[in-house]
Amino acid sequence: MRTLARISLHVVLLAGAAVFLLPLLWMLSTALKPAEQTTSVPPRWLPLRYFAGEGAGRREVVPGAWVTAPSVWAVPDGATAPVALPEGDVRDGVWTPAGGRRVSVRVEYHAAATPESPWREIADARTGRRELVSADSITSRFSPRWENFAGAIDAMQHFWRYLGNTVLLCVLNVAGTVLSSALAAYGFARLEWRGRDRVFAVLLATMMVPFPVVMVPLYALFRELGWVGTLRPLWVGAFCAGAFNVFLLRQFFRTIPKELSEAARIDGCGEFRIFWQIILPLCRPALIVVALFTFLGTWNDFLGPLIYLTDQRDFTLALALQSMQAKSGLTDWHHLMAASTLVILPTIALFFAAQRHFVEGIAVTGGKS
Amino acid sequence: MNAGDRRGLWLALAFISPWIVGFGVFTLYPVVTSLYYSFCDYDVLSRPIWVGALNYRDMVSDHVFWQSLGNTLVFTVISLPLGLGMALALALLLNQPVRGRGVFRAIYYLPSLVPAVASATLWLWILNGRHGLLNLALMKIGIAHPPQWLVDPQWTKPALALMATWGCGNTVVILLASLQGVPRALLEAAMIDGASPWRRLWHVTLPAISPVIYFNLIIGIIGSLQTFVSAFVMLNGGGPDRSALFYAVYLYQNAFEYRQMGYACAMAWVLFLLTLALTWLAARTSRGFVHYQAD
Amino acid sequence: MLSSPLRFLRLRIWLLALAVAAVPRVSGASAASGRVVVDYWEKWTGFEAAAMQSVIDDFNRAQDRIEVRMLSVSPIDVKLLLAASSGHPPDLAGLWSFSLPDFAEKGALTPLDEALAGEKLGADHYVPVFWELCRHRGFTWGLPTTPGCVALFYNKKLFREAGLDPERPPRTFAELEAMSRRLTRVELPRAGHRVRIGFDELTPAERSEGRFTIVQVGHLPQDAGMFVSAWGLWFGARYYDGDRRILADDAGNLAAYRWMHDIVETYGLDHLRDFASSYGQSQTSQSPFLAGTEAMIVQGPWLKNFMEKYAPDLEWGVAACPAAPGVGGGHPVTLVESDVVVIPRGAAHPREAFEFIRYLQRQDVAEKLATGQRKFTALRDVSAGFVAGHPNPAIGFFVQLARSPAARAVPRLSIWREYDMEMSIAAERVRGLLRSPESALAEVQQRVQWRYDRVMRRWDIVRDERLAEWREHERW
Repeated sequence: MRTLARISLHVVLLAGAAVFLLPLLWMLSTALKPAEQTTSVPPRWLPLRYFAGEGAGRREVVPGAWVTAPSVWAVPDGATAPVALPEGDVRDGVWTPAGGRRVSVRVEYHAAATPESPWREIADARTGRRELVSADSITSRFSPRWENFAGAIDAMQHFWRYLGNTVLLCVLNVAGTVLSSALAAYGFARLEWRGRDRVFAVLLATMMVPFPVVMVPLYALFRELGWVGTLRPLWVGAFCAGAFNVFLLRQFFRTIPKELSEAARIDGCGEFRIFWQIILPLCRPALIVVALFTFLGTWNDFLGPLIYLTDQRDFTLALALQSMQAKSGLTDWHHLMAASTLVILPTIALFFAAQRHFVEGIAVTGGKS
Repeated sequence: MNAGDRRGLWLALAFISPWIVGFGVFTLYPVVTSLYYSFCDYDVLSRPIWVGALNYRDMVSDHVFWQSLGNTLVFTVISLPLGLGMALALALLLNQPVRGRGVFRAIYYLPSLVPAVASATLWLWILNGRHGLLNLALMKIGIAHPPQWLVDPQWTKPALALMATWGCGNTVVILLASLQGVPRALLEAAMIDGASPWRRLWHVTLPAISPVIYFNLIIGIIGSLQTFVSAFVMLNGGGPDRSALFYAVYLYQNAFEYRQMGYACAMAWVLFLLTLALTWLAARTSRGFVHYQAD
Repeated sequence: MLSSPLRFLRLRIWLLALAVAAVPRVSGASAASGRVVVDYWEKWTGFEAAAMQSVIDDFNRAQDRIEVRMLSVSPIDVKLLLAASSGHPPDLAGLWSFSLPDFAEKGALTPLDEALAGEKLGADHYVPVFWELCRHRGFTWGLPTTPGCVALFYNKKLFREAGLDPERPPRTFAELEAMSRRLTRVELPRAGHRVRIGFDELTPAERSEGRFTIVQVGHLPQDAGMFVSAWGLWFGARYYDGDRRILADDAGNLAAYRWMHDIVETYGLDHLRDFASSYGQSQTSQSPFLAGTEAMIVQGPWLKNFMEKYAPDLEWGVAACPAAPGVGGGHPVTLVESDVVVIPRGAAHPREAFEFIRYLQRQDVAEKLATGQRKFTALRDVSAGFVAGHPNPAIGFFVQLARSPAARAVPRLSIWREYDMEMSIAAERVRGLLRSPESALAEVQQRVQWRYDRVMRRWDIVRDERLAEWREHERW
């Protein structure tokens, strides 16, 4: 391939990768900032810590509004805190706002601010006291706020319970799905029996049924059983062999030569032993794929927990995150992003640990149909 | 059936028993019952009351129902070609001799791995009118008044479509795998015949992977019609002017917020029939462009 | 010896049973100490929950038969209804009074009348408007915990800067509009510099050119403290004729929505959208009022708490929100609502639950709870030290406001939630200049009437059953 074409190819791919990664990086950046910096103008990528003053007078501050015209820092009569007022409007301790009545003020100091050398209002991070200082005198350094993660865990209230619930559900679902799907797939793939193909066609047909169709009656059923408000509706179904996984595993089982089973049968092996000791170990990659996708599906599941769980302590991470976001009124973005990061991290870790299986698995599910 | 056959049948049933139980309890029973409920007025606390076709008649005159259907179809029409097109483009690029293909593939795949709720929360922040990443970027490149994505009724669906496209990574992986399965013999023959890269793409590569594209299109349509999490988390009541009230969300609202479970079941059946119809339609039109290789 | 598939089946059943047993069930059984455990679901979090928890702790300490356990549940109404339907509801739940008609008609609640008859608790114990909130179709469904009403909060500093007397809030609707106009400021380029001037100081040319940015507003109608649909109250809207007819597009609602429409037309849709774009809901740190960029807002006494947290330096005052001419008959108009505590139907321990409800109605307990939540009580009597010792300096004002003869609640309809949602959507449309107020409200009327007719059709079928259920409550 020609060099120019190769370089432009890599450039395009790199640009695309950057665009795809940007949201995740932005999430991390927001997660590490203090609240006021998430909405700072101009926006920054790096979380900073601001300081004013030198030597002994150096203190941490939170910067606020900019002042770009000559002003005075004064306390109007009846007010509790000083404000920045345009210098031209204040004469002899009296402030005359444009089109308004005069108010007497107590001037604290003047600020010779211009657009080229602006001043800024700052608040002392510890005492909250407000001042006006030259923007040049404010220094900053990079300071990621790792404590936001602790703050997010606090804000979520029962984070560790949610984590525990989610992991428990994942384990139960993976165990149930792998076991039951393998059994059913074996029955469809390795055994000859009357009506097998017709029943399998029925199985395929069930994949067309959208979840909303079964949602209400299932809910009513679980209500009769008294399981609404518990975790049971979220994992019992896994032990009943979902159609998709049966289909997937059946494809794999069929690739194993029949002679293997024949030989074992001739040796007097029971069918179950053939299943358990011969076929299953040969299909480990496929089983791992099923396990991985079941784990991911359960980790991500939202609608199930939404309709079946009532007690907040039973929530899964996905539901808890949404609940936190709904209650927050969309302000504490740093905590929300930190919480989102925590929820995403295990899936990414899992991906990197089992990348090969993931890619194989997706390729197979999407490719051969 | 002789004794051997009978024993074989018994054995097979034992193996597929988990599926049989699942089929009976989690598929057959609910499907039949939901059809029954769709002809009833059923609030979750007391018994269903038979009302005949009232739910269906009401649906026809319920313009929020039509709005939700319209929203979902428009969203599908925007996001599906966008997502599939992007995935195809990326897969084709990655199919070239590229260094670090594994790394690129991982990066493009990562967003589709993110749990839907976390992704929705993240994009809520990205789409924020004043402080979100998207608008900050747009303002940087000179667009002074970028759209207020989640506040302006005209832009909510494109915003959700954009978010959906971000998650096209698993389609990229699927398409890439199938591209790598295109028989070299065909490509070489085309090259010998003097076909340019574009003609090779159009006449050899794309037809070769057309079954995969078609399959993903079907799955995409079915999935897109059922979009729930992103719309529910980001625009809970349906968004401004109900512009992002998707079918599945309206269904959920009817079932669990308005407690009209019968009506929700009727909506679910309409969705089912619509899904079947679209799948059949896609199957018919696919004969025109899907080429299965002789095995 | 069983054949292998059967043996395996047995293994699977065994595994399944083990798994089912292993997953613990959250149960409300008796506590180790032998007390009866009363499960109480509440919507509150943060300091509001802490205030109730403190009251609960007092109750638990004061006797040894009952232990109340509070749980924070959200969204409470959806979850409570689902729990009631599943047959395992909590013993107590905290709802809003506007949910009572819906839950009562669905048979999800236990009527309290017989229990109340045995105590001294009745209408004369409470401020009339709050007692009425708890009643529906002749039965009592809950008792108030913490009520609320709304008023106009205003920013004294912004008043002062605009040349208005900070001790003189608007008293009539015309004054509200005029002051709001004066308090709206914009920023725009003039002769090379960016200046900040009042909205009225824009020249007609500058106004039509539209190159200005709104940096401060006087008053933008948000959600009137609780519901945007409630604005109709200040315009004399009725919402419902008391029989079966919805009145979404009556004169009062039309006037309110026309008012909202006019505001958007005056200031310009894009400018207002730009201004509002980064603000979240009204009770958060990004609320324009708390950020100091909105001069007036209609809210309840709870706003004080948000001010404490997010805008401690804000200089504020509060007054009754003026109503349109002729509305209220000379009395201050306000929207009232209340948090109520109910006993769901099917609760395991209704008697014990009622004991706690009764405890909450004691004057000292109610006032302790109200003080902790920075609200006032629904009780008719107010103790001497309550107002003086309350962290909200304006609480005395709110106490009086709730007793105004023109204090009104939203209509007592079982479909209020949907009604309000449709009205909110109509408000969005009107404020987005997508529909005229007339057509938006006409649509609400048609849709809500349709919903209401459906619900009433079902009610007609089940009414006799329901009433019989409610009358024969022998649980006490």
